[in-house]
Amino acid sequence: MRQLKTRPFPYYVGLHSLEELVTKENRVCVMNILGSESRKVTPVSHEYSGGNVVAGVQYGRRGVLETKLGNIPVYRSIREVMDAGIAFDMGVVYIPPTGVLKAVSELVTHNEALKRIVIVTEKVPARDSRNIRALCQEAGVDVIGANCLGMANAWDRVRIGGSLGGDHPEETLVKGSIAIHSNSGNFTTTMAEYLRTAGFGISTVVSSGKDVYIHFALPEFLYAAQNDPRTKAVVIYVEPGGYYEKMALDWIKDRTFGFTKPIIACVTGRWKKNITRACGHAGALSGSGDDAESKERWFDAYFGVGEFDPKARIVSKRGVRVSSIQYIPDAVRAVYEKIDEAPDFPSTGDLSLKLWLGDNFVKVPAALDLPLVTPPAPYDQQVVEVNKQVGAHYLRQNMSRKSGASRMNRETQVSELHGKSVLELSQCTMEENLFFALGKVMPEKTDVPTLNLILNLFMKIDERRMELIDVARANGCTPNAYLASQIALVGDKDLLAKSRNHAKFIIDLIREFGLDERTKTFPPELDAFVASKLLGSEPSRRTDISELLFKEVRKSRKGCVALRVCQHIIDLAGKRGLEIRDTYEFLLATIAVCVLWNPMLEKRISRQMVEDSVAYFYLMARIVAYSVVDRANNPHWKKLVDQKLSNLNASFTENAFKVLFGRLPEGCDLMEFQTLMGLTVTNGPGTLSVMGAKESVSARNDISMAFVGFLANTGRAHGGNGFEAIEFLVEKFRETGLTDPGDPNHGLDLKAMANRAAREYGAYKQRVRETEESVVKPLPCVNHPVFKGNAINVDPREQYVAAQFKELGVYNAFWEFYHHLVQELYDEGVTRNVFCVNVDAVLAVITLKLVWKDLQAGRVTARQVQDLVFTLFLFGRSIGIAAEIADHRDRGTDMDCRTPESELTYVL
Amino acid sequence: MQLSGLRYGSRLLQLVEFPVAEFLDGSATNQEIQQFLEKHKKLVVKPAFYGGVGKKGKAGLVRIVSTLQEALQAKRELFFAQHTYGNKTVTANGVTMEAFVPSDLEVYFSISSSTVRRGPVFTITPWGGVDIEALPPEKKAVIEIDPFTGINAFEITNALTDTGCPEAFISALTQHLPKLWDLYDGYGLTTIELNPIRVMRKGNHILPVACDVKASFDQDNPAWKRIGLPDDLFQTETTPFEADINELRTYQGQSDVLEMNPKGTIMPFMFGGGANSAGTEALGESAIFSSDFGGNPPYEKMYEISRIVFEHWYQQADMLLLIGGKANNTDIYVTFKGVFDALRDHVAKAGWKPLYVVIGRGGPNLVKGMFYAKDILDRLRMPYKVFGFDTSMILTLEYAKKIDQWWGAEGAAAYRRQMDKQARV
Repeated sequence: MRQLKTRPFPYYVGLHSLEELVTKENRVCVMNILGSESRKVTPVSHEYSGGNVVAGVQYGRRGVLETKLGNIPVYRSIREVMDAGIAFDMGVVYIPPTGVLKAVSELVTHNEALKRIVIVTEKVPARDSRNIRALCQEAGVDVIGANCLGMANAWDRVRIGGSLGGDHPEETLVKGSIAIHSNSGNFTTTMAEYLRTAGFGISTVVSSGKDVYIHFALPEFLYAAQNDPRTKAVVIYVEPGGYYEKMALDWIKDRTFGFTKPIIACVTGRWKKNITRACGHAGALSGSGDDAESKERWFDAYFGVGEFDPKARIVSKRGVRVSSIQYIPDAVRAVYEKIDEAPDFPSTGDLSLKLWLGDNFVKVPAALDLPLVTPPAPYDQQVVEVNKQVGAHYLRQNMSRKSGASRMNRETQVSELHGKSVLELSQCTMEENLFFALGKVMPEKTDVPTLNLILNLFMKIDERRMELIDVARANGCTPNAYLASQIALVGDKDLLAKSRNHAKFIIDLIREFGLDERTKTFPPELDAFVASKLLGSEPSRRTDISELLFKEVRKSRKGCVALRVCQHIIDLAGKRGLEIRDTYEFLLATIAVCVLWNPMLEKRISRQMVEDSVAYFYLMARIVAYSVVDRANNPHWKKLVDQKLSNLNASFTENAFKVLFGRLPEGCDLMEFQTLMGLTVTNGPGTLSVMGAKESVSARNDISMAFVGFLANTGRAHGGNGFEAIEFLVEKFRETGLTDPGDPNHGLDLKAMANRAAREYGAYKQRVRETEESVVKPLPCVNHPVFKGNAINVDPREQYVAAQFKELGVYNAFWEFYHHLVQELYDEGVTRNVFCVNVDAVLAVITLKLVWKDLQAGRVTARQVQDLVFTLFLFGRSIGIAAEIADHRDRGTDMDCRTPESELTYVL
Repeated sequence: MQLSGLRYGSRLLQLVEFPVAEFLDGSATNQEIQQFLEKHKKLVVKPAFYGGVGKKGKAGLVRIVSTLQEALQAKRELFFAQHTYGNKTVTANGVTMEAFVPSDLEVYFSISSSTVRRGPVFTITPWGGVDIEALPPEKKAVIEIDPFTGINAFEITNALTDTGCPEAFISALTQHLPKLWDLYDGYGLTTIELNPIRVMRKGNHILPVACDVKASFDQDNPAWKRIGLPDDLFQTETTPFEADINELRTYQGQSDVLEMNPKGTIMPFMFGGGANSAGTEALGESAIFSSDFGGNPPYEKMYEISRIVFEHWYQQADMLLLIGGKANNTDIYVTFKGVFDALRDHVAKAGWKPLYVVIGRGGPNLVKGMFYAKDILDRLRMPYKVFGFDTSMILTLEYAKKIDQWWGAEGAAAYRRQMDKQARV
């Protein structure tokens, strides 16, 4: 095999001194410059190096990469870079592994001035690596990597390749006399940091990578270090596998090249000789002769002394081997003393155990007990600031078609909210589900009465508002329309804005003063702060409702720091004879913060969500209050919305039932009602209803307007299938004399009824086909696009609820009829297999059962039933929407729901 | 990923039409064995192992038989034979009964990656059938291969001539051996070793026949998948935990694990190849696994990795350890959020236990990440110690080990009692 050779090596090496490896004059072109890693790393390198990246390549795409030193132009290929007249001598490759060889080939083929290539990419196949070697040896190009972080010159502040030194390379890569060659990218920086602490700076550092082939290996590194006047000693980090180190030491011994500077070598990985599969570095897999122990022997023989002992500090002029990188600073110091050199600058510390954070739960034995220390600047200030933060944080992103709240589980086809399926949610009350939608965990039992209290309080409305709804209804508005008109008027009213500010104040207070559950007494500074910011002598508006909340907060025994702080504030105001400004909103905020405190501390929900929570409770309660279908004949509603303090302790679910059905729930009514609510909480983030809410958030609307977006995006199509099913069932059962669909002894022959219905439908189908008049209208709520194709089909969601009801002994004649119907359709040859009864049927049969008696008695009209079905859907979905709005507010960006022009189509 | 023996090795060689000894596997009936014996006179019975297993001959695990009775006896003895080589013990999973190939010459041939030559080399000797390391230099040749042109016939000729191969056999070997480069280069191999190749006379022809194969494959080159080896062939090399984590494997790494001691007590999340190497060494037997989660894994991946780790080891472990140097590119906040969100969710599911957490880390968004961990651990009432990059990583590891020992011996039980008492109050 013929190849270029540069003396003293039997292969090509393109530099004589480490000074030449990375210089101020080098100009760099980065391949895959807009890839996720390069996009972050390249600007830092460019800025640190004074602007050395002259171009980038992104296949198939032109553009720029923004940096503080100006934009880096991005081209579609190296040929385009060259055609643009841009000269560069360094290539950096960030391309995914399968494309690395091709990228190297492109760089070498189109740029004869190329000197070096840094390959950052991990997991490059060994086959491509050997081809890269052959290609670059032939072209006279040095290769650093692959699977490396490149190289840096601390004297001239130049970094080429990966992210050595991290986001702030100037902090770690400080000018000095040590050259580093490391198999580990992370250790390159870590060792530089250790050395800096001990008073030693860097000349040049190379992260070599640790694939099977190391293209810029120890022999050429040492050769170049010897010829580098800046470098006084070399620190190397070595892992098992490969004979690079042996070659270097052999060549020094046989004088292939001269080397007189000390080496401090750290060899790790003894344990790796037992493994047959790489973990971490692909090349750190040894054979019999190149394991860690062999390498330790090579170095010890070269140094003439054994492993470095920090107590004995025995080193030779040739250097010493250390067992771990923590001994490198000590070893370098000892070697420098031996060769009569001084450290580069004064030491700033040591590497001893410095505890930044520790718990207060457990006392460890004295020997292991460590005091907390203040981290070095700038981390000390960060600790103070970050410690004040609380709650979950999310990366802002385009949330147009994404949700962190809901999803449709593809395997089960059942929708989930925060990981719980709607089937599970159907077993919970509305108040529990609303709390879950906001807090991502179910409420603690002790919080449920508080939730009911606050929700029932918010149902107190000004009845005059209903006149507008009467007008809307008279004009043929659907429930979503008249509800939206009322909710839009809420805006960000004082009550909500002030509650939010109070919630913010309470959270700030707790974090600023470092309070937690273990806080025994509150500091006087806190009292002074509270007095100046929150208390005043002006009398606050007191109502029966605020008095009630006052008592509620005072008597609560919840062991939550937020509650204790608020109780303390109330006491403080009492003692000083002062008033809490906006007491009512303060009390609302107190309750909201207390019930959501734990999920916030557990980082399940954001602080913003907690601050906004009063608004969600308020809007949900308002939607229910305004939903009454026939208020003139609904005495329960009147009691719920008047200003008297009645019904406040009842379950919000029960109150919602009374608003909608105008009667007290009986028997299993409530259980059936909550099942309906739970099943409709979400159907995934792609639904129209969710999109309406998300788009409204995206336009930076208030929470109330986001609910309007949701309401505006619902319509007759929603719950329509359920309503068609009700119409269908009413038609079949109208003349049967059925009085109680919940009584299994109804005396009807449901099978015969179903058979008749099946035959009628069969005849209708036949008629339509023969006349070809129109498309066959399907029977409502049977069959499903996913749960089909078997001899007997079932919708698992329907099956689940049916089983639950059966276990509880709840009977529904309409449901049984549906089951007979799908069988009869098949038996009569109308369908080719037994269709499933789908989950929409569950909604229809339960709803019809709930209104059947009133419908039969003429107490509700068909139109009212239609509104009722729709409103039921709105109740359930409002809960899911609250979660979606909160999620989008936490994660989304302004206008992120816009559709890019490129995805739009003009239709002729 | 390695394989040895003819059972699967023959499939490799057939890809490039390299002659291979005929063989039966352990499922052969007595009648088939009898007929095979009648055809070949003698059979070589060897245990079949998963993975790359050598030195079988030296261990007395290779039998030459000439009767059915002997064949059955050898099969019985070798079917589940245990074999210790180096410090590994493996159990056989069947046998192969290979046709005995009478020959005048045994050749050793291998292709491998040489870090000395910085490229692929082939090694050849006509004095095969023995340990290649045991041969003096003049009896073996190591020749560099130009990866673009592969193995040239003249290089085989020269090497065999230099190492004393009888002239009569050179031509046949020159004809067949270069094919092995196509196999090596085209199917993602990192080593292939044929030892011995028995050179037999077949009428007027001379034919080299491979009688044993060892091969290892490059994890990073998917070309081996084209060979059509059974899916579970390499799965036996991975534990259920490793297999679950491997599902997340991408070209960016970020999820390398190696199960070390399933009875260990520490779940070590190591970030970076260096931390992996040094950390695993420092933790020794305490580490349940070795890992490298460096390379700036995104939140979703880190959460998923952590979820799997906790599902496998939370119940048994005493300590969760997060260790790494001063990260260059890995966002500490994102990775810690993934780990501790997963821990919080797992505790909610599996129940609380006294788990000690030790962290030693540096890098972007460090303080934010540390406080994320602190806030969740405070909620979970799990004790923790957090060190920055100004503490030696190894000291942190040594400290973690001491805490782990004390915690396992007495600390955890005492803390559990303390918590139970508080709950009762």
